[in-house]
Amino acid sequence: MADMPSDFWGGWIVVLTVTTLIALGWLVANVYFGPDDAEEIAAHTWDETLKEGTTPAPMWWFWLIFSTMIVSVVYLILYPGLGKFAGVLHWSQGHEIESSAAHYDERFGAERERIAAADVAVLRSDAAAMRAARSVFMVHCAACHGADAGGQAGLFPDLRDGEWQWGGDAAAVQQTIAGGRRAVMPPWQSALGDDGVEAVAGYVVALSAGRGDAPEHAEAGARFQALCSACHGPAGAGNALLGAPALNDDVWLYGGGRDQIARTIAGGRSGEMPAFGARLDATQIRLLTAWLAAREETATAAAR
Amino acid sequence: MNLLALHKRIERNSGLLIFGILVVSSIGGLVQIVPSIFQDSLSTPAEQLAPYTPLQLLGRDVYIRESCSSCHSQQIRPLLAEVRRYGPYSRAEEFVYDRPFLWGSKRTGPDLHRIGGKYTDDWHRVHMRNPRDVVPESIMPAYPWLAQSAADRDGSITRRLGALQRLGHPYSDEEIAAAPGAVDGKTELDALIAYLQSLGRTRTREEGL
Repeated sequence: MADMPSDFWGGWIVVLTVTTLIALGWLVANVYFGPDDAEEIAAHTWDETLKEGTTPAPMWWFWLIFSTMIVSVVYLILYPGLGKFAGVLHWSQGHEIESSAAHYDERFGAERERIAAADVAVLRSDAAAMRAARSVFMVHCAACHGADAGGQAGLFPDLRDGEWQWGGDAAAVQQTIAGGRRAVMPPWQSALGDDGVEAVAGYVVALSAGRGDAPEHAEAGARFQALCSACHGPAGAGNALLGAPALNDDVWLYGGGRDQIARTIAGGRSGEMPAFGARLDATQIRLLTAWLAAREETATAAAR
Repeated sequence: MNLLALHKRIERNSGLLIFGILVVSSIGGLVQIVPSIFQDSLSTPAEQLAPYTPLQLLGRDVYIRESCSSCHSQQIRPLLAEVRRYGPYSRAEEFVYDRPFLWGSKRTGPDLHRIGGKYTDDWHRVHMRNPRDVVPESIMPAYPWLAQSAADRDGSITRRLGALQRLGHPYSDEEIAAAPGAVDGKTELDALIAYLQSLGRTRTREEGL
């Protein structure tokens, strides 16, 4: 009770608690060791034949009550309870967690610092570190990206496919985890019109299949160069600095069908990766980066 | 004083007996509850804590109606394992504008006190429609109807805010007058997500435990 409102209320608690304890002690002592009233009690008769007995509760009952009272007195001496008195042990929840955090740092601090500074390639082959990384991923990342990091719901990207919208090197991935990302694809419906959206969607599908230079797409290609290339690049290779995905491959977050692409062009998209810098520390982010690199490698090997 | 004499008097005077019972049974409350009413740390809001916006307030009422607190707690206890998993432990100053607080006492699902900002609004939309779409092993029920019903169906937002204003929450009359406009066209799902995204954002790991 470190922040008692005032001395008055501290005293209020002390007086009430101590008075109650003393009164209880007096009551119990009187019941067991007070003057013998057997005769007077037994003299009363109710309902013609009903008499009150005088057999006392067994002594173990007294010892039970007595020991709980001793425990409460010892507790009030050792721990905070009596108003502003902090107790002989000076115990508090705040100190408790600070000391367990200090103990944790002492035990694991060096190892955590080693991991935070370790090379991603080294961490990747460290089985214990990868087990820890997986549990961090499960608690913080799996709800969106899926337990296997494979992405889901047509909203959250696959993290194994080697396609990194915001860059795939360790520094970029760490920045994405810590700071979050916000991708904005503006809607082009009003600029392109229905026909324009269809045509550009057709061009993007062709681009994805490597046939962007087909003559029937020449006109749509020109519109792409005018409107889309600033972010997605003239060849549709994307730009990790802007979070603009590559369009010249077959990796699609919001669906790669012609209709889905048309919907994306017409209505725009806004993807958000929340910032985890305040939830995860440098060690956890380093572990995640290494674990994701290992997923990517495994998935690429499996694809071959 | 003779105990027997006292006993006799109390047992033969029911008014005195009732009074005695009231005195004895009130002591716990007098020690535990009464001083806390005057404890400033329980009624002083955390530095960055703002009262709920009208939309968040409606979302909070949805949270109460759907009984979310039966399965989700909103209190991170001061234990290292909880702090490492959920973030800084909960403090009284963060619940000053919660009437009633929704700490809960059972975790079938995870604690939600620091859920704000952890997931995107889009994730919450998918998750409320069908939790299995994003968390395959989840046993949480789906709440698809929230996306269909208007947040302020009975038009009571100004009265709700007015009640809180009378209790001392710092809403201005202008804010209350503007509230129906602010929640117009919003669904219960919008409101619930706005509420969830507001939870526990007053403290972050950088500020320590």
